[in-house]
Amino acid sequence: MYVGETGVSYSSIKEVKNMKFQTANRDQAMFKKSLIVALGAMVVALSGCDSKEEKANQAAIQAGQKLAEKGRDAIPGCVACHGAHGEGIAAAGYPRLAGLNAGYIEKQLKDLARELPPAGVAIEAVAKDYSKTPRIYSDLTVFSPGLRHDDIMSPIAKQLSVADIHNLAVYYASLSYTAIPVAADYQVLERGQDLALRGKAEYGLPACVSCHAPDGEGFGADFPPLAGQPSIYIVNQINKWQQGQRDNDNLGLMKAVADQLTDADKLNVAAYYANRSLTVKGQQ
Amino acid sequence: MKFTKLHKYALAVVAVTGIAFGTWVAADTQSPDSGDDLPTLEAMETHVSMQRPHESLPNELTIVPVIKPGEYFVPPKLEDLDDSKYADEVRLGRNIFINTQEYAKRYVGNGLNCANCHLQEGRKPHAAPLWAAYPLYPMYRDKSRQVISFQERLQDCFRFSMNGMAPTLDSREVEALTVYAQWLSTGIPTGTLMAGRGFARIDKTEDPSPFNGAVHYKAYCASCHGDDLMGKKFTNRPGYMFPPLAGPDSYNKGAGMYKVKTCAGFVKANMPLGKSHVLNDDEALDVCVHIFMQDRPWDPRKGMFMSIFMPVTEG
Repeated sequence: MYVGETGVSYSSIKEVKNMKFQTANRDQAMFKKSLIVALGAMVVALSGCDSKEEKANQAAIQAGQKLAEKGRDAIPGCVACHGAHGEGIAAAGYPRLAGLNAGYIEKQLKDLARELPPAGVAIEAVAKDYSKTPRIYSDLTVFSPGLRHDDIMSPIAKQLSVADIHNLAVYYASLSYTAIPVAADYQVLERGQDLALRGKAEYGLPACVSCHAPDGEGFGADFPPLAGQPSIYIVNQINKWQQGQRDNDNLGLMKAVADQLTDADKLNVAAYYANRSLTVKGQQ
Repeated sequence: MKFTKLHKYALAVVAVTGIAFGTWVAADTQSPDSGDDLPTLEAMETHVSMQRPHESLPNELTIVPVIKPGEYFVPPKLEDLDDSKYADEVRLGRNIFINTQEYAKRYVGNGLNCANCHLQEGRKPHAAPLWAAYPLYPMYRDKSRQVISFQERLQDCFRFSMNGMAPTLDSREVEALTVYAQWLSTGIPTGTLMAGRGFARIDKTEDPSPFNGAVHYKAYCASCHGDDLMGKKFTNRPGYMFPPLAGPDSYNKGAGMYKVKTCAGFVKANMPLGKSHVLNDDEALDVCVHIFMQDRPWDPRKGMFMSIFMPVTEG
């Protein structure tokens, strides 16, 4: 029995060497497979399957809409909290979903459905490609599976199937949205703007706009919009990061940022983004 | 029983078939479908822990410097500006600085803005902050081998880092940027060497490896700057959300960031945003060698022929 520095045991060193060969074989096979798949995809694309994809997308949107409006069995309809058009309820801090990135919604629902790990399990937020890493890492473990806990949402997310999650994500991504700016004190807005556009350079705290896009409209599946979200929701989420109830951000970037924010910072910047005007066109 | 010729033939046939069958079986077991008992680990994918939980401190510690209050200079706030002509010039300078693509388009030859490297509107320590640079000029510069003014330094930025044309010294853009830099360094005496000027210091302990660099790039950088280092463009407006590190829209081979050590000083102290010092000196150098090896526009000092007629795609 050979126990490496890594804590993972192998029956012999030979087995470790075999592992390398196996990965090499697998890479070759993967390459062949991917070639076949690419050729197949080309043939499919040439035979005019775009309309089929569109039809499938439309069907997913309709299924998502049905589930969102009526719910199913023990699943309540999303419209009860997130509004008839996915606009959320600002006074209660329920977020808007309309016009969000489909990939983002899908990931959040999956993370909400995941059980929190037992205390003491370490999570490494950075995914490392160990199969190609020429170094030996002292810690061979963990990529963050993405954890997010919410007392209301987690029990609902656990009842959703993978198809449900996809349908809901596609449906809410297809909705358009126009934000209604919320008035706030000008000093609060000034301080919020300073933090949103410039961060705290002297403490190494980056600006919100550097990832969440210049108008806070969000970018891709990793960086959700801040503009057009209820200020209570934004403050709650930063609190959750600080308290460890949410840990599903790309590379752990938001965790590092949230840890540096004071209570006043949270309120100022949330008020600033609730004050922004924003128009989002849904993606069909 | 006598061992006849027929027996020999039969034995040979059986042996050949057996070998062929064995080879086929062996080939089949080597294929991933049958013998795939190992989990495939792919970067940027999430996996649950396979190891026992940590009972003590984590064994991979990174050393991150703790910033004390007052350690770095705090430039004045933009909201405190009044309505004077000077303040207007500062605002114009800031607009050019953070949105060079729009406000100084005629001098820019790539897809970058000043604030892509001078982070947080030129305020971030160890990201070449303007407030640390402005009080030091005029100064001797090795690159041009003469004493140059701040305005001449700005010309070099446009020529190399922005891969464009140098604006004239009396142009509106150079004037506004100079005023912006002067305003940011309000209160700093001339010639002061400020803490946080330039980029972080790099002490290498081993030769940088582009192979390690590619691995680190994929883990830490690719999710924003793209697998191909070409950055990511906005979908709802022109320009780049995350700047390109290579290719025709990036800085050229005459830029300071093309030097591996300068690049590593920037990467170590600033990247990924908000999680600086995740990469140590050697890892930052690895990543920068990986970036160094990519294609980008030629050095304009190499002559007109080189910069116009040579293909950009040659590394």
